[in-house]
Amino acid sequence: MDVHSKEFISSNTPELKCEFGALSRSDGSVLFSEGESVIMASIYGPVEATFNKIVIDKASVDCYYRPKAGVPGVQDRLRESVIRNICEIAVAISLYPRTAVLVNVQEMQNRGQLISCAINAVSLACLDSGIDMKFVFGAVSCFLSNNGELSCIPSINEDTVKAMLVFVFNNTTGGIIASHTEGCFSIEQYKIALEMCRKESRNVFKFIKTSLLAADKL
Amino acid sequence: MVASTDLGFFLPGEVIKDIESKDKYTIIGPGLRRNEEDPNSLVATQAGRLTFRAPNTYWIESRRNRYIPKKGDLVVGVVTKKSGDILKVDIGCAEFAWLSLLAFEGSTKKMKPNVNVGDLIYAKLLNAHKEMEPELVCVDQYYKSGRLGVLPNEGVLINITLRLTHTLLNAENPLLRTMAKKFPYEIVIGVNGKVWIKANQAKDVLTLCKAFEAAELESEKSIIEACRQHK
Repeated sequence: MDVHSKEFISSNTPELKCEFGALSRSDGSVLFSEGESVIMASIYGPVEATFNKIVIDKASVDCYYRPKAGVPGVQDRLRESVIRNICEIAVAISLYPRTAVLVNVQEMQNRGQLISCAINAVSLACLDSGIDMKFVFGAVSCFLSNNGELSCIPSINEDTVKAMLVFVFNNTTGGIIASHTEGCFSIEQYKIALEMCRKESRNVFKFIKTSLLAADKL
Repeated sequence: MVASTDLGFFLPGEVIKDIESKDKYTIIGPGLRRNEEDPNSLVATQAGRLTFRAPNTYWIESRRNRYIPKKGDLVVGVVTKKSGDILKVDIGCAEFAWLSLLAFEGSTKKMKPNVNVGDLIYAKLLNAHKEMEPELVCVDQYYKSGRLGVLPNEGVLINITLRLTHTLLNAENPLLRTMAKKFPYEIVIGVNGKVWIKANQAKDVLTLCKAFEAAELESEKSIIEACRQHK
């Protein structure tokens, strides 16, 4: 099921596209692209947990991030922990005690907004698998250029980007549930970026809903 | 049967107001939880269509594919381990289900049924608490097996989506009856998505598999329409 976000295209926001059920054997999977970054995410769960990972009152969430080539490095471990922490609060893990939820993220293409792309892909994969969730999450990344301009589209020249800010919001209250930043910026710039991303996150949730609706129509 | 009504598409976290249940007493099914802040509303926990059946039942028709055991479900499972009087059965959920050899009809300490690893079992969930292993039995409340028990070796096991099992088990759905007019077959559908089929020829089994594959992508209305054409 291919879904394109044609109605959400505007010049300053990345185009979103997704395809549900990209993998046949996982419980939920999605091929998701945000601008020119592409991620394949899949969810298995709840499945049997290994003995040392069992938590008595909730499911343990594990995230595996695979880069395009080679073995996962330190950067990838950081991304894994960001995604795992978000999943732990969004998925209703207390409903599945003594089990494990496995999140697999495969990087396909990187054009700057990789983290927000991965988070959105995991969110869609969770919804595809039908696992119980407290809320839906959506991420937006924002780039601060050397001349102080904020934009949601990464600049083609990497040297002109001074900082990258990623914010994750929930769909119920619009509250922020995670923030990840790289580079130098002032507190003022952070606040402006936060408001900008909050506005943009509504488009992400709109996209999630329309794409699920399109996939649900049988 | 009371018809159920579709009340629109919901995402996890969205609040459902205007509960129409009788006497403010609501039964909630999968995909919903009660709202702590406002007692007269519900919160969705799965993405899907909210469905209501009069007088007071609500649930979400979701695209879930991992089976979550529920008490009283009839399931098909594969025996994966045998130790003493206990069988461990894979029913597709997070843990192996537990089945005692004494839970078969007419079984005693001295006379146990002959069950081996790899056999298929059609059983009922006696116990499905989320903190415990699910427990299966092959007898009903009168200690009779009914149709439960070990399935014969001649059949074939296939996996289908949970949504399709609900469609097929709906007594009003004509798909299985229409197929039965073409050729004879035996079928056991577990609500965990495992289906056992036995037919005279391998061709007939494949025809059934193809039909299920096609039905997975179709709505209930178009299945009924397709069956009517083949009458």
